[in-house]
Amino acid sequence: MKCLLIASESAEVLFHWTDPEFHQTIQEQYGASQEEGQGLPAFEDSISTLFAPIIISCSTMVDRLGDNYTSFTTESNHIYVLHQIDECLFISVNGDGEEGEDDLRRKIYVMKKMLEVLFGMVTLSSTLLRKQLRPQDTEQRARLWKHLQSLLETYCHLQQNDQSFLVEAVERLIHPTLCEQYLLALIIMAQNMYPSNVELDDPSPEDAESTSGSGPESFYTPEPSPTDFIGSVRGSTPVFEFVDPDVQMAEDSLQTLEVPSPDPSNPRRVFLEVSLKEGLYPMMPHSMYCLPLWPGISLVLITKIPTSALAMSVYKYLEAFAKLEKRLSEGQEGSAATRGQPTIHDVRNKLDKFIKALGPRDIKSAQLQNVWTEFKNRAFVRGGPGFNKDLIPWCKNMKTQLCGIYRQSFLLDSGPADTQQRLSPSLQERAQSMLQEKLMDWKDFLLVKSKRNITMVSYPDFPGLIHFICVDRSTGQMIAPSLNVTERTTSELGKGPVAQFIKNKVWNLVSTTRRYLQKGYSTVTLRDGDFYFCYFLWFENETGFKLEAGDIPILPDVSAPIGMLAWDYYRKLLRYYSKSHQGEVVKCYELLTVHLGVMPTEIILQHCRQLASKLWEPSRNPLL
Amino acid sequence: SRRLNMHTQSTCSFFFLYDGSKVRGEGDPTREGICYFYPEETPLDRQELLCGQLAGVGRCVSELSVSPVRVLRLRRDKFAIRMKDDLFWALGTSVEVPTVSVCALLDQLINLFRFYNGSVRRSYQIHSRETLAARWAQYLSHLQSGSSELHHIFSCLRTIDSTNVDPLLLLKAALILQACQRCPLVLAGCVLFRGRVVSTQMSPELTMKAMVHESETYVKVGTTPITSHATPLKDTPPRKTRLSRTLSDVPSTESDPPDPGSPQPPQNLSFGPVPSQGAAESLSCPDQSPSSNGEHGAEGEESRYFSFQTAIEEDVHQSGDRGDTACAEASQSQDRKVSGESGGGGPPPGSSSGAEEAPLVPMTLYLHRVKSLVLVLLVEQHFLSDSASMEEVYHSSLASLNGLEAHLRTVSPAAPGAPGPYSFAHFDCVQSTLTANVSAAPGGAPERPFVRAVALLHSHFSDSASLQEAIIRSAGAAVYGTRSVAQETFFQQHGGSLRNSGIPNQQDSCFSLPSKARHRLLKHGVNLL
Repeated sequence: MKCLLIASESAEVLFHWTDPEFHQTIQEQYGASQEEGQGLPAFEDSISTLFAPIIISCSTMVDRLGDNYTSFTTESNHIYVLHQIDECLFISVNGDGEEGEDDLRRKIYVMKKMLEVLFGMVTLSSTLLRKQLRPQDTEQRARLWKHLQSLLETYCHLQQNDQSFLVEAVERLIHPTLCEQYLLALIIMAQNMYPSNVELDDPSPEDAESTSGSGPESFYTPEPSPTDFIGSVRGSTPVFEFVDPDVQMAEDSLQTLEVPSPDPSNPRRVFLEVSLKEGLYPMMPHSMYCLPLWPGISLVLITKIPTSALAMSVYKYLEAFAKLEKRLSEGQEGSAATRGQPTIHDVRNKLDKFIKALGPRDIKSAQLQNVWTEFKNRAFVRGGPGFNKDLIPWCKNMKTQLCGIYRQSFLLDSGPADTQQRLSPSLQERAQSMLQEKLMDWKDFLLVKSKRNITMVSYPDFPGLIHFICVDRSTGQMIAPSLNVTERTTSELGKGPVAQFIKNKVWNLVSTTRRYLQKGYSTVTLRDGDFYFCYFLWFENETGFKLEAGDIPILPDVSAPIGMLAWDYYRKLLRYYSKSHQGEVVKCYELLTVHLGVMPTEIILQHCRQLASKLWEPSRNPLL
Repeated sequence: SRRLNMHTQSTCSFFFLYDGSKVRGEGDPTREGICYFYPEETPLDRQELLCGQLAGVGRCVSELSVSPVRVLRLRRDKFAIRMKDDLFWALGTSVEVPTVSVCALLDQLINLFRFYNGSVRRSYQIHSRETLAARWAQYLSHLQSGSSELHHIFSCLRTIDSTNVDPLLLLKAALILQACQRCPLVLAGCVLFRGRVVSTQMSPELTMKAMVHESETYVKVGTTPITSHATPLKDTPPRKTRLSRTLSDVPSTESDPPDPGSPQPPQNLSFGPVPSQGAAESLSCPDQSPSSNGEHGAEGEESRYFSFQTAIEEDVHQSGDRGDTACAEASQSQDRKVSGESGGGGPPPGSSSGAEEAPLVPMTLYLHRVKSLVLVLLVEQHFLSDSASMEEVYHSSLASLNGLEAHLRTVSPAAPGAPGPYSFAHFDCVQSTLTANVSAAPGGAPERPFVRAVALLHSHFSDSASLQEAIIRSAGAAVYGTRSVAQETFFQQHGGSLRNSGIPNQQDSCFSLPSKARHRLLKHGVNLL
C-alpha cells in the first residue's frame, strides 16, 4: 500500500500517485463517508478530502509553532513521511512494510529532483510550480500526472532491483562530465521511455549470449565545452566529440522491451547542472534525445540549446534577489543589505539591459518590466522607502517574474522556433548509424555483460565472501557482482528465494549503514543471523595514500537522505573533508561486504582489505 | 525562539492527555478536552494548539490507516502516542531519544496511572482534574527522577549497585521477603534502599510501579513516607493465576468499613497524590505503629507503616458486598461488568471482553519504612483489617529490616566519576536492570559518544531480531554491542590510539573490542563467553 501526494497549503492536489491497494482503500473510505446514492467522485477529490486535515494541520503547525510534522507511524506500522518544500507539501505513505521512513523520504527527494530536471528554475517559484504541476486543462493534467507517475514507478523499480540505483553510483563510467546525480536521473527518464518488463525480458544466460532481450543503456556525454557543440550542430557538419568512447552502463538494470517508442526525434527538455569556468549553474536547459540502437541498447544524446545564455542570466538575477531577500529578512537594511557580489547596482544595470534585450514581445516580459520599474522606484529613488523589510515582497515578486520568463522560454512550446533548436533528423540518423557501426562487434558482449557483468566466480580467493559493493565516491563509480534473482536465472547465490533473501540482506545493509553514516559512523560491522556484514568509508589522496579518518558530520534524522540522486551527500562530504587537506586531491571510497558468519573475523577483514586495495587496480577492471 | 522543548534536562518535554469526547461540537473549546498537560505552566493557547492539532491529525491518520497512531515526529520533537477510544495521550521528547524508549516511557506512565487509579475514564468521572493532575505529575516525575540517560534508553529498574554490596545482604533481603510471604495474605514484595531495588519478588514492571511513592519520598527526604495504593493488574501475567486464586480462596470479609478513627497521616499531604476525599477512597491506616524509632527522627527517618487503598477497578464484584461506599459507587458506574454474583466470586477469569484493557484486581500496597530502607508488600485488600496478619508480618520482618538498613547504610556508594580505561553498559532484559560504569548524567560530556552509540545500537537491536553483534566507529568512539535474548551489552575502550584511516585492517584496534569486552567485563559479573 503506497502513495505519494503533493499538495498545496490549501490542500489542493498538485500530484498524486497510488498503487492499486491504496487507490482502493481511498475509494472505499471516501465512499463510506458519502451519502448513499451518490456516485463516486473523481479520485483526486477523494484523496484530497481524506488528506485535507493533515495538510491543513501542517500549515497551522508551521504558522503557529514554527515546526512541522515529519512523520507518523501507526500501530500497524503504516508510515507517513511529510516534507514541506516552500509551499508544496509532499506526503509519502507506505502500508505494506516494504519501505521504511528513510525510503519514503528518499522517494520524496527523488521526486523533487525529477521535478527540477523536468521544470528547471520553475521549481524555484511555488506559484509557478503549482501551475506547472496542475494545468487547468484536465486532459493535459492527466497526461502530465501520468508521466510523473510512471517516472516514479520506474525509479522505484530501479531502486528496488538495481544495485547501481541502490547505492546511487554508476557502474564503470570513466569520465563523467555530468555528475552521477543527473546521469541517474536521465537513466530513469530513458528507462521510462523504453520501459522494461523483467518477466518477459529476462533471458536465461544462454539466451543472453545470443543477442535478443535486454541490454544496457549506453551513455555518451558531450564535450564539456557546449558552445562549440551547439555551433557544430547548427552547421552542416555533424561533429560529435565524445569525451571518452568507452561504453558505459548501469548494470543489471536497463532491459528494455521492443515497444513502440515515442518519436525519438522529439527531444525532451531536461534541466541539468552545468559546470563552467565562472562556476556551477544548476538547472540549465538541455535537450535529451533517446535513440534506440538495438533492442535493449539506446543512445542518449544530451545537447545544450542555443538560448541557454538566457537561463544563465535568469539564474544570476534569481540568486541576487534571493540573497537580497535573505539579508532583508535577517533585518539588515540599507547598504548592509545591498553589499555582496555582484552589487545591487551591477544587477540594476545588467537587468535593465536584459529586459531591454527581451523586448516588449509578450506579456511576460511586460510584466517583468512593470515589476522591475516598481522595484526600482522603491529601492533606488531618493527619499523612497529604500532597502528595508518592505522590499521583501518585491524581491519575491521579481523572482516569480524571472521564473515566469524562464518558464516561457524553456517550458512552453513556442512553435517553429522550438523546432529550430533540434538536431535535424538526418543528423540524428547519422549519429545513430555511426554508433551502430562502431558498436556492432560489442553489442552481444554488452548485452551479456549487462546481465552478468562481474560474477562472484571471479573471486575464488575469497572463500566465504557472498557479495560486495565497492564505490568510488569521487567519481561516482561502483563495482559489484551481478545479483540475479529471478526464478529462471541460476547464479552463484543459488536460485530464486535464496538469491532473493541475500538480495534483501544487501538492500537492508545499505540502508542500515546509511543510518549509521548519517550519525557519523564510518565503520560498521554486524553479525546478523548467519551473516557477517562490513561497511567501511575512507579517504585517500591521489597517490593512494590512506588519509586519517576524520569527523563525519552528524545529521538530523530528517535531513535529506544520504546518496547522490536526492542530494549530493558525497560531494558535500568530500568538500567538508578536503577543508582539512588543502592542496590535496581527496578521494572517498566505500566498501560493503557480506560474508558467511562462520568465517573468522580476521579472514573477513583480510578480504575487505584486499578488495579495498585491489578493486580499482586496472588489472581488476572486469571490462578489460 | 519558538522552540517547543523548554525542559531540556528531563527526558519528557511534553505530556498530555486529551479527551476528544469532550470536544464534539464546533463551538466546544479545545480546553474542555485537555485532561492534563505537562509542563503545567505552558500557556493555555499553546496547550490548545498542541492538543488540538496532534489529536486531530492523529485521528485523521488513524482513520486512513485503520490503526491508531503510535509515533508522531516533528522536526524538533518526537511524540509517543496512545489512542484509546476518545482518549489521546502524547509524550514528547527530543528527537535524540530512541523511539522505542519514548514509547516505553509513555506505556509505563499510562500503566502506572491505571495501576493506582484504575480506569482512566472512570477516574476522571470520580475525581477532579486537579487531583488527577497531581498524580500524573507524580508518576511522570517518578519515571524520570534521579536516573541517567542510560536508564531512559532501556527503561530499566533502578537497582543498588550489587557489585558493591556484600552478597549476604542481598540474600538477607530475599529472606525477609520470603518470611513475609509466610502470611497467606502477602502476595509478593520488594525491598528498596534509597529509592533503589535491593531485592524483589515481583516482575520488573510491577516493581517499578510499586516504587513510585518510595522514590518520591526518598528524593524529598524529610517527609513521611506514605501514600496511596491499590490494584496491581494485568502486567504481571505470570502471577495472575495466583492472584486470582488467592482472591477467590479468601472469603470476602463482610462489611469491614474503614475505621474513621484511624489516625490520618497528615504528613503525606505535602507531596504526591494525596488520598483525597474522593468517593472511591477508603482510608484504612491502622496506626499500630510499633515504631522502632518512635516519632519522626531528626532527619525525618522513622519506621512506621501505613497503607490505604484507593481506586477500585471494574470487574471486581465483591467490592459492593463489602459495604464500602467507595466501592459501591465505583460499581454503579461500571457498565456491563457487574453481575449478580455474590462477593468472593473472584474476578471473572480473564474474559473481560469490552473491558478497557485487562481486568483489574484491587490490591493494597503495604509500605514499611526503616530510615532509608523500605519494605513494600503487595497484599490482599483485607490484609489491613486482619490485625493478626499484620502483626505477624511486622514482627517477622522488623528486626531483620533494622539490621539490613544498618548494613546497607555503611556501604559507600560507588564513587562514580573516575573514568576507567573503558565504558560499559549491561542491560538484563529479563530483570530489566542495568549495570554500567558510566554515570551518564545529562550533559556528561566525556560519556556522550558512548551514550549516543548505545542509544543507536539499542534501537537497532530492538528493530532487528537477528542482529547479534555490532561494532560501530565514528571519529570519537568505537563501540561494541552484543545481545542475546536475555541481555544487551555495550563496551567502549578508552585511550589508545583512535587514529586510523578507516580502511579495513585486521590490525585495527576496534576489531579487538569483542575479546576485550569478554575479558574486562567478567569482573563486573558480565559473562559474554
